[in-house]
Amino acid sequence: MNKSHSILFFVLVFLLQLAISNYVNLGPWITISLIPFLILQLPVQRTPHVALLSAFGLGLLLDWLSAGVLGLNAFAAVMTAAPHCLLYRRLLNNDRYEETRILRLRDIGFSKYFHYLLILTAIYLAAYILLDCVSVRPIGFILVKFVASTLASTALGLLLAYAFQRRS
Amino acid sequence: MNNRSGLLSTISAILLFLVLASLSILLVVENGVVQRFRILGTARDIQAWGWTRTSNISSFFNLRKENERLVAENLLLQQQLARYQTAARQLDSAAFRVEPDFSYLSATIVKNTVDRQHNHLIIDRGSKDGVEPGLGVVTARGVVGIIGAVGDHYAYVISVLGTGQTVSAKLAGSGAFGPMTWPGIRPDRMLLQEIPVHIQAAPGDTVLTSGYSTIYPPDIPVGSVVSAKVSQGSSQELDVALFEDFRTLHNVYVVRNNHQPEIEELYEQVP
Repeated sequence: MNKSHSILFFVLVFLLQLAISNYVNLGPWITISLIPFLILQLPVQRTPHVALLSAFGLGLLLDWLSAGVLGLNAFAAVMTAAPHCLLYRRLLNNDRYEETRILRLRDIGFSKYFHYLLILTAIYLAAYILLDCVSVRPIGFILVKFVASTLASTALGLLLAYAFQRRS
Repeated sequence: MNNRSGLLSTISAILLFLVLASLSILLVVENGVVQRFRILGTARDIQAWGWTRTSNISSFFNLRKENERLVAENLLLQQQLARYQTAARQLDSAAFRVEPDFSYLSATIVKNTVDRQHNHLIIDRGSKDGVEPGLGVVTARGVVGIIGAVGDHYAYVISVLGTGQTVSAKLAGSGAFGPMTWPGIRPDRMLLQEIPVHIQAAPGDTVLTSGYSTIYPPDIPVGSVVSAKVSQGSSQELDVALFEDFRTLHNVYVVRNNHQPEIEELYEQVP
């Protein structure tokens, strides 16, 4: 997948997220978010500034286009991008870190990718759901929503990664 | 060099993260009604928690000063309480209120006449309250009379509205004095007599007690001059409108001249 393909894939996934946010109603218990998967597609360089700014812009754009509470997805995206930049170095050795700017399924294998995506999705949805629901919904509802949303979003992200990033 | 640039990069990344996170929170607060109240409420809670703690700490360190202030305040209140208790005891026992030269005792009129040639009043103070014959009865707006007889709980007052009763009075401006008597016609008018003809007395001039008798205190405003006329060719007679309305009189003061025995003793020494 070359650079133009990567950009196209990124845009298509974002459009899919936009369609899910605007047209797919799964009820109050599940929130599907592909933003953590998209953050994984962001190129991480030696400094995390670009990733942080890109995540913020991505979340803000989604908030704006999905007519949600402006800043909600942006906050969760920034909260996710920061650990992504930290975890990225630990996951890859320095040599591969230099050459691999985008984390792909084929580069690190299914298991690592799954765990990595699961962690980022959990962080994202924890920030999102807490800011959206805490003190408004009961804690049981928040926990169920968090678990269900994390599993569903991670599964969808893995499906997309498996479908489009399995082979180079 | 690399370490230094790496440290700067890390610091700037942390700052960028904080700025973006704060910006997101601000956007949520601005655009989400529920989030706005929740976040601002949480912020207020944290603020209140901090204020409570700092207030407690500062209160702890100010305890000594606060204790000293309370002790001083307590002393002041105790002094005030003692004064009020003394005053209350004096009122309860009908004791006289101490003034430099005169003592006063409040009394209530239980009977009053104004339509006779020799009018009188009955007040609810008697010998058990320290009232004696010969004491004066006044108000803040004039003289009322003299205690004529005393019972245990009541006293008979000879009203100044009686023919033959005399009050020593003076003009406020000139100080010219003379006996003031009731002519027996109207209960709101008296005559100030023996004012020298050269004294200019204009209508409206205030008439006061002179203080030259041992009964009434000086300078109690009694009335104002209505008119003046020459009497017997050598003095003026002033018509005085009384300030006090005897028909509605209810509360009075019995007044005792604390120096009266001494003055009377002086009179007795003179042959």
